[in-house]
Order: sequence, then C-alpha cells, then structure tokens
Amino acid sequence: MNENLFASFIAPTILGLPAAVLIILFPPLLIPTSKYLINNRLITTQQWLIKLTSKQMMTMHNTKGRTWSLMLVSLIIFIATTNLLGLLPYSFTPTTQLSMNLAMAIPLWAGAVITGFRSKIKNALAHFLPQGTPTPLIPMLVIIETISLLIQPMALAVRLTANITAGHLLMHLIGSATLAMSTINLPSTLIIFTILILLTILEIAVALIQAYVFTLLVSLYLHDNT
Amino acid sequence: MLSRVVLSAAATAAPSLKNAAFLGPGVLQATRTFHTGQPHLVPVPPLPEYGGKVRYGLIPEEFFQFLYPKTGPYVLGTGLILYALSKEIYVISAETFTALSVLGVMVYGIKKYGPFVADFADKLNEQKLAQLEEAKQASIQHIQNAIDTEKSQQALVQKRHYLFDVQRNNIAMALEVTYRERLYRVYKEVKNRLDYHISVQNMMRRKEQEHMINWVEKHVVQSISTQQEKETIAKCIADLKLLAKKAQAQPVM
Repeated sequence: MNENLFASFIAPTILGLPAAVLIILFPPLLIPTSKYLINNRLITTQQWLIKLTSKQMMTMHNTKGRTWSLMLVSLIIFIATTNLLGLLPYSFTPTTQLSMNLAMAIPLWAGAVITGFRSKIKNALAHFLPQGTPTPLIPMLVIIETISLLIQPMALAVRLTANITAGHLLMHLIGSATLAMSTINLPSTLIIFTILILLTILEIAVALIQAYVFTLLVSLYLHDNT
Repeated sequence: MLSRVVLSAAATAAPSLKNAAFLGPGVLQATRTFHTGQPHLVPVPPLPEYGGKVRYGLIPEEFFQFLYPKTGPYVLGTGLILYALSKEIYVISAETFTALSVLGVMVYGIKKYGPFVADFADKLNEQKLAQLEEAKQASIQHIQNAIDTEKSQQALVQKRHYLFDVQRNNIAMALEVTYRERLYRVYKEVKNRLDYHISVQNMMRRKEQEHMINWVEKHVVQSISTQQEKETIAKCIADLKLLAKKAQAQPVM
C-alpha cells in the first residue's frame, strides 16, 4: 500500500530511459500556433485566453518589467497545462518533483533580484527596512527582512510542490478508501465517491490557482525590482 | 509540392494508407513558409472545413466503418474490457475511482459548457471578420458619398443660368431706377428756372402798379387847394349836425 501510494511520483522511465523529458515537452503540443487570422475554435479560445491573462498580468509593470512578459505568460501556461494534465489517470506530473520547481523558481527569483540590484541599488536595499520602524528594532528587522528575501525562491518551489503533491496524494487515498469500502458497505461508498468528486473539482481549481500564484509572485518580485 | 508527390507515392505503394490522404492538405498548409525562396507554382489545396468525425471524442468514425463488415465494434470493445478485467490485466485499484471521478467531471463539464465555448469562439471569429467587413464598407461608403457629392455639383452647374437671370434682372432694375431719378431731377431744374421767370414778371407788374397808384395819389393831394378844403370841412359839419338831430329823435334802448 505504501509503495503504491507514492508510485505515481517516481520519475517514469521507459526501458531505463527517462521519459520525464518527453512528458515535460508534451504540453506545448496542445497549444497550436497559427499564422491565419481566422482559426478553428481551439486556437481561437486559446489565443483569447492568452491575451486575457497577459493583459491582466502585465498592466502593472513599467516598460522594463514588460520585457519579462513572454517569460511570465509561458510560465503560467506551462504550469497550468502541466497541473491539469496531471489530473488524468495514470499520468505523471512534473511539478510534483521539487527539483523541477526549484529549477523554475530560483533562476526567476534571482533574475528579478539581480535586476533590481543592478539598476536601482538604493531602492532594492530599501526593501530591507519597512517604513516607520522604531529605531532600536532596526538591526533585528534588517536580519528578518534579509531572511525573508532569501527564502522567497524556496517558498515558491516548495509551495507548488506541496500543493500539487498533497492534492494527488489525497485523491489517491480517498480512491483507495472507496475501493476498500466498496466490498463492505455500499452506501458509504457512494458518500466517499461524492467526496472524491468534490475533491476532483477542488484539484482542478488548485491546479489553475497554483499556476496563477506562482506567476503572480514572480511578477511581484519583478515589480519591486524594476 | 514535393510532399504531395511523396504522399501520392506512398498511397500507391501501400493501399491501406490511402485513408491518410486527408492529412495532405493539413501538412501542406502547416509547412508553408511565406517569402522564402520560390513560391508554389500551383495553388495550395484549401483546408477542409470540419475535421474527421469521431465517436466518444476519441475513436474516429473510420474505425467503426472498418469493423462493421467483420464484427460489431461495441461487442469487440466490451469483450476486450471484460477480458482485461477478468484476467487482471487491468487491476481495479484506487486509481480506478480517481479516473472515474476525473473523467466524470470532465464529461459533465464538456457536455454542459461545450456549446457555450464553441459559440463564444465563433463569436470572436465573427467579430474579427465583422471589423474587416466594416472597414471595407466604410471605404465603399466614403467613395459613394464622394460620387454623390460630385453628381450633385454637376447638377448644380446645370442650374446656374437661373442665377445669371436674376442678376441680369437686378441690374436692369437698378439702371431703370437711376434713369427715372435723373429724369425727375431734370424736370425739377427746368421747373425751377421757369418759376423764376414768372415770379420776376409778377414782381415787375406789382411794382408798376404801386408806382402808378403813388403817382395818382400824389397829384390828387397836390390838386386839392386850401379853399376847397375849408368848404369841404364846413359841409361835413353841417351834415353831421343834421344826422345828430335825426338820431336824437329815436329812443335809446
């Protein structure tokens, strides 16, 4: 049972070759490009969604911040599609692996911070001290702010990993509970199955929200530093 | 073009691949690049409007048609599923219920909101087309307005003679008025001169009359002598006394 529970989180291999690369590269196949003005329904809806999200996200940045728009929009699309595809049965979700999320979070955060330090060093350093602190508290507060800054990439990565992994685990557990109860008591099976359906709806929401949160936070760090 | 040659060659080589000919236009359209090298000498075949029909969103219709002469596809499907279940090739595990719930939610969502999303996408495309159509119509309308303005200007040119007639009439009237005014002035001047001559004549006659009367009076006064004057006065007094007596005879009221 324990082995089965975490079986969906092992990096998949086909005859010893890592299939995770193929799995990570699969979502872009679902988002076609087109060089025509009038497209089929899939491309039209996708283009409309992408336009909507990119406008929403990039309005708050100045010209320098908007140079990141391609990065942020592709980030949110990647995380959203990967999370949603992971809800399908017997699929592997790359974002459950901490290694991948760290690989996404650290460069983006570091890029934002280093941009801030390169251009406006005084503004960037000023983030370390909130306004209106009483004088004796300043040294401690600087240390606390530094720690909170350095923890941001870890928080980004661990947040995404934990949320998606926890969701998948919960679905697996309740699924096995339904399986176990199906031989004992049928009405309770139906109740547990209803819980499972509700959880699925929650998972869909969580998949989308996590993508949004990740991207929003990166864009926030960017806004502070441009 | 080369890809079409390849596809037709493949079709002749493997007859079972003939059904893959429907991939031809899609591949040709997708691999088409603009403005690099030689363009195609033949027009690229257009894309079909609707894709191939599928049942249950996964299995193409051709599969069912392929199976019908030999065996019922539903019976085949049910048989395969039952075989997998009974031989535990497919194990019912926790994942089964997860799969059931996920697929159930997905099917429910697609059935409920599918047409709405489809209509929305169609509406977006229609809006784009309507914008372009509107631009075209606006341009046509603009040109039509220019044509109409030009036509009305031409029609106005035909009616210009009215304006000229009116102006001609005005000038004629002004000339007439000036002529009459001057005629009246001439009349007045002439009358003035004639009146002057008449008044000169009247004055001369009056002066002659007065002179004559004065001369006659002067000579009459000179001819009255002193004696005659006394006699006249005495006679006047005698007449007055007579009159006074007559007058006294009547009572005064």
